[in-house]
Amino acid sequence: MSDPKQTIVVTGIGAVSPYGVGMAALEAGLLAGQGCIAPAGEIYPGFVGSVARVHELPRLLSRFLPLAVAARYSRTDCLAIAAAHDAAAGLSADAELMSASGVVMASTVGGLCELDPSIAGDPAAWYRGHSLARAATYPVSRVAESVGEQLCANGPRFAVSVACASGAMSIALAANLLLDGAVPLMFAGGSDALCPFTLSGFNSLQALDANLCRPFDQGRKGLNLGEAAAVLALETLAHAQQRHAPVLAVLRGWAMGNDASHPTAPHKDGVSLASCIRAAIQMAGLESEQIGYVNAHGTGTPLNDIAEAHAYDAAFAERSEPVPVSSTKSYTGHCLGAAGALEAGITIAAIRNGALFPTLRLSNPIESSRVHWLSGEVRRRAVAHAMSVSAGFGGSNAALVFSEYPAEGHDGADGKRRERA
Amino acid sequence: MKPLHLTGIASVSPYGVFQGVIPQLPLEARAVTNWKTEGVRRAYTVEPFRPVEFVPGIKTRRLDRLSTWALVAASLAIHDAGIDLTQVDRSRVAVIFSTSFGCVEHTEAFFQSAAVRGWGGTDPILFPETLANSPASHVALFHQLRGPNITMAAKSFGGESALLQAASLLRHGQADVAIVLAGDVLTQAIYQWYEAAGMLSPECFTCETANPPSGLIPSEGVAAIVMESCCRSTARTYARLIDGRWAAGGDALAGSASGDAGGATLQSIRRLLGERQPDFVICTGAGAPCNPCTSANSVAELAGLATLSSVPPSIPPERFAAGLVDTGGLFHLILALRGTLRGTPHGESVHGASALMLGTSGAHGHAALLLEILPV
Repeated sequence: MSDPKQTIVVTGIGAVSPYGVGMAALEAGLLAGQGCIAPAGEIYPGFVGSVARVHELPRLLSRFLPLAVAARYSRTDCLAIAAAHDAAAGLSADAELMSASGVVMASTVGGLCELDPSIAGDPAAWYRGHSLARAATYPVSRVAESVGEQLCANGPRFAVSVACASGAMSIALAANLLLDGAVPLMFAGGSDALCPFTLSGFNSLQALDANLCRPFDQGRKGLNLGEAAAVLALETLAHAQQRHAPVLAVLRGWAMGNDASHPTAPHKDGVSLASCIRAAIQMAGLESEQIGYVNAHGTGTPLNDIAEAHAYDAAFAERSEPVPVSSTKSYTGHCLGAAGALEAGITIAAIRNGALFPTLRLSNPIESSRVHWLSGEVRRRAVAHAMSVSAGFGGSNAALVFSEYPAEGHDGADGKRRERA
Repeated sequence: MKPLHLTGIASVSPYGVFQGVIPQLPLEARAVTNWKTEGVRRAYTVEPFRPVEFVPGIKTRRLDRLSTWALVAASLAIHDAGIDLTQVDRSRVAVIFSTSFGCVEHTEAFFQSAAVRGWGGTDPILFPETLANSPASHVALFHQLRGPNITMAAKSFGGESALLQAASLLRHGQADVAIVLAGDVLTQAIYQWYEAAGMLSPECFTCETANPPSGLIPSEGVAAIVMESCCRSTARTYARLIDGRWAAGGDALAGSASGDAGGATLQSIRRLLGERQPDFVICTGAGAPCNPCTSANSVAELAGLATLSSVPPSIPPERFAAGLVDTGGLFHLILALRGTLRGTPHGESVHGASALMLGTSGAHGHAALLLEILPV
């Protein structure tokens, strides 16, 4: 963290979640211990389950996008655009900087939420009866294009689709581009909307809990899907200091890897995930002892959570005290391609608020020697370094380490000395 | 920047399945037979083949064509690079796959199962295979590659940006070897979308060649390139990637038309080139076969190459690669490595020369990569 040109900082965070638009709404919900998963109603005939839904999206969107323009975009795109505008709102970036900035957005659902099964039978008839524009939201790159168009961000633009690790990977890849010096500012995040395609898919895999999910509980039965978008504005510390931008946190380390063990199930011992966590901590120049909080992937499925617990046992084996871990998917549901970015925002919120968010409905946690499973009330504690962990179908893993800024006892960009409360 | 080595090449394309450079072969669009059409519909399609004939031990029964092709192309490229994976730390091998439509065949099949049996009766085995990252995951699983596994997409420049993402991973020490893949499959839904959008060439509807060629002839295939940070003593290097950049916006030609030759695109290319003057230009770009090359030449000229005694010769985009739209970049490069600058007076060799791989796509920006093509 000594070279400002090689230090990546977060200068903006935008979110659209079931709590509404903005990190303040999300933080308030988390601090109040209020989850937003609710019975889904009949999304398709026979479906019984719970989801975390963003309500009144057109009203939320109207702050950022005329409804006539919004009609060109998929629901996934709209969530992303709103989150990106929210991230950009506090940046004080001029038009020149915005134009030079890049966009990387993650999604797994993308424009699938705009299609229906009849398109597969007779595509030409579907295009005539519906619209070409709706189908044009399908390509993987579309969500990044949509955000780039709306922000007038004309630097590198690309999308990431690595299942549930996508959101975290978008942040890692954006950081790489910043280190390359290829772009002065990156908007990196993820977005996914609820849709029958994914609900049906996870339901067919028997991966859904019909009731409220219970991550890391021995009685867990599966996940609940959610929808959200989150976008981080990232730049080098040198760039942020040059333009006197307030710094929210430092992205100090990141790592990506793959289990290479099974198409859908994680490696049962979490070996590769543990390696990924260690690599991110090493890149951050920290010891595992210094990680004050882990925002886990924690889906609530039997296989994921036990593999993840084993990964933490291995990665934090050297610690003298168990590492505090929670899954905030118990509040927001599993937002798929948006999850990693949303949880990166929550991890930064934990640092900035000095708050460890507990896992909801966790009464009988998985046994682990190296993990302190957070449950019950929010714990108030200063957190200098925290980690967000993501994993996904196909065996992909990603870990991000965030740190407070400025570090305790150091001067910030505003010249004021930061003292821990 | 430290150059990176391109040491292995393979592809599955309408030309066939090839390890190494695709040989000079005639290629014509074929009549589509995978679905019923009203009248002739032509495209550059991949002929069916038995994967196990190319990659011993490969099992593809449950995979769609995109995953199968990615797996075959990756395996052959690794072999072409002479990499013995038993001697490599596989946690240091990354896979970067660029696709525009992902596993669209399985997505369509999943939709069809929902149409027949309802959303409550969909196939649990099919669902994970609909995810866009399935092909890259199968490559990792088959070869036990535990490094970063990234599936990405970029409008018009998916292949080029995949190369640059791989370069970034290698330069930051996040991997030692990267298997870079780019491609798509063509389905009825995609073809008919192009048709409804009026993007297709008249040649899609007749066996006669249009002159001059115009519009898109859709295509399919997957290309693979192995990129390494270190030059192994036993490795052949096709080319070295010196540097590159891409951006989404800024229409350089629009800037030139308005007398503003200092637009963002041109500045970006000038920064990339610095004092370097490439010997030739590899034109990339999506869609129509002629305009991208014209644009690329114009942009190259505007970016400063006109200070040479003449504008450097260029390799035009091949129609098949242009038909991949967003993911043809790797094919443009692989086809250029065939050796000669067709269309130049003496058919100069590309080997031992420096190349600017340049694509422009109007308002969708540009991609520019600077390479050294090594002698054979």
